[in-house]
Amino acid sequence: MKRLGFLVLAAIAAWSLPPGAAAQTTPDQIYAELAKLPAAERQQRLEDGARREGKLVLIHTMRGNLSVDHVALFKKRYPFLGVSLEGDIGSQDAAERLYAEETAGRHLTDVINIALPDVTTLAGKTMVARYPTPAVAALLPPYRGFIDAENRWTPWYWSEHGISYNARLVPKDKAPTQWTDLCNPLFKGSVSFDPAEDRYLSGLYAIMGEEATEKLLKCIGDNNPIIQRGHTQRIELMLAGDHMVQGDNYLYHGISVQRKNPSAPYAIAYAVPVMGFAGIAVINRNTTRPYAAALWTDWTLTQESQAYVGSLLRGPVALKHPYLPDSAKIVTYNDAPPDVAKRLLGYWNRYVAKR
Amino acid sequence: MNGPDRHPSRLAIARRRRAYTRLWLAPQGDGASAVPSANRFHYGWRGLALALLIVFLAYQVVVPFLMIIWTSLKTARPGESEFLDLTFTLANYVRAFESASFWRTTVNTLSFALASTTFAFLMGAFIAWVVERTNTPLARLIGFMLIGRIIIPGILIAISWILIASPNIGLLNQVVLELTGVRNVVNIYSFWGMVWVQALEMVPLIYLLLSAAFQAMDPRLEEASTMTGAGNWRTLRRISLPLALPAVGAALLLLFVTAIETFEVPLLMGTRAGVRVYTTEIFYDTSRTPIDWGLAATYSMALLVVAIVLLFFYFRLIRHGERYQTITGKDYRPRRIDLGGWRYLTCVLSLLLVFLITGVPFLMMLYASLLPFYQAPSVAAVESMSLANYWSLFQSSKTIAPMINSAILGPTVATAVILIVALIAYFVHKTRIRGRKILDFLAFAPIAIPSVVLGATFFWFYLLVPLPIIGTLVIIGLAYLTKYMPVALRFVSASMMQIHNELDEAAQVAGVSWGRNFVKVTLPLLRPGLLAAWFWVMVHAYRELTIALMLARSQNRTAAVVILDLWEEGSFLLLSAFGVLMFIVLMALSIVAYLVGRRFGVQEQY
Repeated sequence: MKRLGFLVLAAIAAWSLPPGAAAQTTPDQIYAELAKLPAAERQQRLEDGARREGKLVLIHTMRGNLSVDHVALFKKRYPFLGVSLEGDIGSQDAAERLYAEETAGRHLTDVINIALPDVTTLAGKTMVARYPTPAVAALLPPYRGFIDAENRWTPWYWSEHGISYNARLVPKDKAPTQWTDLCNPLFKGSVSFDPAEDRYLSGLYAIMGEEATEKLLKCIGDNNPIIQRGHTQRIELMLAGDHMVQGDNYLYHGISVQRKNPSAPYAIAYAVPVMGFAGIAVINRNTTRPYAAALWTDWTLTQESQAYVGSLLRGPVALKHPYLPDSAKIVTYNDAPPDVAKRLLGYWNRYVAKR
Repeated sequence: MNGPDRHPSRLAIARRRRAYTRLWLAPQGDGASAVPSANRFHYGWRGLALALLIVFLAYQVVVPFLMIIWTSLKTARPGESEFLDLTFTLANYVRAFESASFWRTTVNTLSFALASTTFAFLMGAFIAWVVERTNTPLARLIGFMLIGRIIIPGILIAISWILIASPNIGLLNQVVLELTGVRNVVNIYSFWGMVWVQALEMVPLIYLLLSAAFQAMDPRLEEASTMTGAGNWRTLRRISLPLALPAVGAALLLLFVTAIETFEVPLLMGTRAGVRVYTTEIFYDTSRTPIDWGLAATYSMALLVVAIVLLFFYFRLIRHGERYQTITGKDYRPRRIDLGGWRYLTCVLSLLLVFLITGVPFLMMLYASLLPFYQAPSVAAVESMSLANYWSLFQSSKTIAPMINSAILGPTVATAVILIVALIAYFVHKTRIRGRKILDFLAFAPIAIPSVVLGATFFWFYLLVPLPIIGTLVIIGLAYLTKYMPVALRFVSASMMQIHNELDEAAQVAGVSWGRNFVKVTLPLLRPGLLAAWFWVMVHAYRELTIALMLARSQNRTAAVVILDLWEEGSFLLLSAFGVLMFIVLMALSIVAYLVGRRFGVQEQY
């Protein structure tokens, strides 16, 4: 009875203590401490911490089995860690998921993998941890621009958006050679886009600046574009002959289809600059499993993870690109400033979506 | 084959149809026939049950309504400290009303709903008339095939029609091009394409409602008209139509409410057609970072207002409709019009319509599910057919687990819903407890909340409330409870009003406790209505997309969400195989429900 009374009193005392009294180490502090350690000790500390945490809640935006297989490789390397994987979700949706959870004070997710241009809102609201990691040393020179000086994200792959077309419907001499060819009357009503995406608009901005982007979006709107949700679906539809050109899409999917079926009429407009944006790991600033989150983030840049990325035809940042020729003109970028991004979205809504 | 169970009499069929009329024309609160027996409120188990019901309804219904209204009056996001302040603003309304897109969306929503309601009504009314009031051959088969369509999810119907009538690659366009050289005679990605598919989706509902109304007409009035020398046309115009008018009006309003809150067709076809409606606008407003919750809530409010106005008229109509009802204690056989030779034409036309509504989408799915790659029908296509797509599905946990999730959700939600609405119907129709009409109103009110709004509201509510149900089937199940209560309540209320109050009183006199009486007497007597409601909710909860999409995470994905995923990934052939499997699972569940119904002798209810 005495013991029970003591426990109750202790519980009440703990409950009534001011928040600061029980000094909590934040993920940012843990990561700052880790950064001071020698590599081997740092790695040991990470693994020990992750073993204690035992679990990782991860949002992975590679669809279906791609994320499952990627995580399986990670679990093979660190079998002591249980991974709760959220897959089949788009990059914008993943960013919004973390944003919503954190706004509501629910710290459910540890790490999200998203496209770099989708991190703006999260970074603006200081919802992301600062994680300095030596793993970024593996990045090849063309991709070092993806690294954040403030360590708010870790780039581990990159994606490309460019123009592709149905080679059966578009004669070679009429193939697009520049972004403004999307306004070619030959393609009227036959160029498809997903609904507005920040990463695409930011890419156009990186390639041609704001004024030219606005002009381009206006003439795209005048050319009666097809707006349809689903990148993969649009590629399939284009290859089936539904329309001629993809005005914005990942280029790898058509390559993937062509490798399975060499007669698929897929062609990439290599003369048009390709926009390249990073896929990044972002750690929740309030993660309850900081070590496990860091372990995943570092692992994404290992050789086995990068080789896996290459095998999926995505762009590894520590290895050579699996299919893009050296002659391809690639414009890498991070995100547009928030005020510019807002205006770009406005142009899209006004001219293309006609909202 | 000889028992009454196998061959329901025409009398029994007439009884079933009238049950549908009672269902949709059942007044709110006390029915005219319901005489409350218990004048005093007894505390105890009954009081506890009532208190729990009130708390449950407040939690499940009032909270979502409040969330929508509150959010529309805030510029802060839910979760931010300013969100809970008692300062409100009309900024979201000003922003919405000032933008041209709001008004364009409003016009799109209303015109889409109006056009699809009209088309659905014309087709459904024609088939209902042919089946119920004429001597057209194969009438029962036509009705059966049409009702069978209910178990095919709406999203599959939409996708099937895209594969059929898409420009350039649609099967129909390819065949026409092959035969005539004319390119793209139809384009499903258009306003009228949307209207066509939505109308087909709603035909079974209008058929159910109107066939019930046609059956409920007293033929003696028509016979009297004929005897006074009026012809068929004059009798139809002066007698039949006025008798059916309240039911027709109520059916039209219900259809209109269904059409304005529909999501699948506007998402899959409207986005590409450039036709945005309220539901897609809300979906896209909630699919960007940061989500514009204020604007989304404002669109939700617009949708709610339209739905509530329509429901107001609906309730006025059904109240008015009571005066027109000609159902008496006598059973009668409705008079069938002899169409002479024309009956073959009506038969062919009806079969054609039913084939378009049920047959075409299913055959399209079946055909595509067997192909290695999508191609027009040909000898080569037939030769290339295999079960490889089905095999791929069985090898992937991504598709099987959601199918199991839906198979759990459907029956579980259906069981929970009927237990709750049985209690509500009891308190409303068998007691005189003050405020019982509020129970009825609260349980019916969610019919005005569009699914896309309900899903978003539950998501936010459970983010703010620290209950660990996000990402589980529980959160989807709770949202479904709210979603399916209104219609289930109408089913059960109709049955409850048929139970004599003497049974309740006899139990009280015999000293049987309320709880025991409810479980041992009331519930068994309600079996027909409960089973009909269970079947309806089970099928709809199994195939539901919109709410599941808003609340889905990796562990609680449902079958309909996987269909949308497969569609967006362009896996049309896998998707078709999945659709066929889903159809088979639902058929199996329906047959089980039917057999259970037969076991209790209540198969006539559905």
